[in-house]
Amino acid sequence: MIMIIGGAYQGKLAFAKKIYPDVTWADGAVCTEEELYSCEGIYHFHQYIERKIKEGEPIDDLAEELIRKNPELILITDEIGYGIVPVDRMEREYREQTGRVCTRLAAYSEKVYRVMCGIGQVIKEV
Amino acid sequence: MIHLVTGGSGSGKSEYAENWLTGRNKKDGTYIYIATMQPYTEETMKKIERHHRLRAGKGFRTLEKYTDLSELEIPKNQGILLECISNLVANELYREDGTLNDLKETKEKVLAGVRRLSNSTTRLVIVTNEVNADVNGYSEETEKYRECIGMVNQSIAEFADIVTEVVYGIPVCIRKEQKKYEEYKKNME
Repeated sequence: MIMIIGGAYQGKLAFAKKIYPDVTWADGAVCTEEELYSCEGIYHFHQYIERKIKEGEPIDDLAEELIRKNPELILITDEIGYGIVPVDRMEREYREQTGRVCTRLAAYSEKVYRVMCGIGQVIKEV
Repeated sequence: MIHLVTGGSGSGKSEYAENWLTGRNKKDGTYIYIATMQPYTEETMKKIERHHRLRAGKGFRTLEKYTDLSELEIPKNQGILLECISNLVANELYREDGTLNDLKETKEKVLAGVRRLSNSTTRLVIVTNEVNADVNGYSEETEKYRECIGMVNQSIAEFADIVTEVVYGIPVCIRKEQKKYEEYKKNME
């Protein structure tokens, strides 16, 4: 698995398309569960988590399932936990759970890029 | 040695800090864990429980202290973990009636507590939080809090030997004093 992370609007997808030009991408904002587990690459992964939390679906096993079913995935996600803890309970959970899921996936990933201003830095490489 | 650990929400800062302090093979140490989160609600109690679980078996003794860290009696130890600056600043800044204490006084109080801890151990690791890389139409009180935690983080980083940002569990070095860092690596072996 490869992860490409960073703040919103930093050019993560453009960066990913440059280094992985042949990958077909799914959009976490709209894709189905089946697509998540079968696609080559996914962007807006944080929005997939947001949708699941809003639908009240448990995501405790999401990271493990993803590792099991789609271990070669290239995953793009926003880093979202860098502000004041939100007043809204669901937003708090979304934020924290995204962190937990991505921390687990980052531990598994062989490579993690962090993109800022369009520039990707490798912060982990096995 | 003082190590400041920062990062976003849910990014694995605590686990990283615990492991940094106790090392890979030293589970029988006497480490002090200073807990600053007040168990107000079910949610905070769950968070506290989760942290308890993660720390279990690592040789930590927990001291709960929500304010006035400089008054704390600290037993002999092999290291201290302070968790976390964002709670401590909130506890010191907000009065019970909802009004705020003076920002500079709050900052000095927090720093006095940190100095007290660093004088009571050879290895201090402090967990803080990146709360300032976002905008959200915050209230005036929250803006004050943001300012205060920013000042405190900067001040601690000034005298810390190592500053690390934990990004989804991955330590990203912000600064390290080379000599002390080598010492630390030796301790980890």
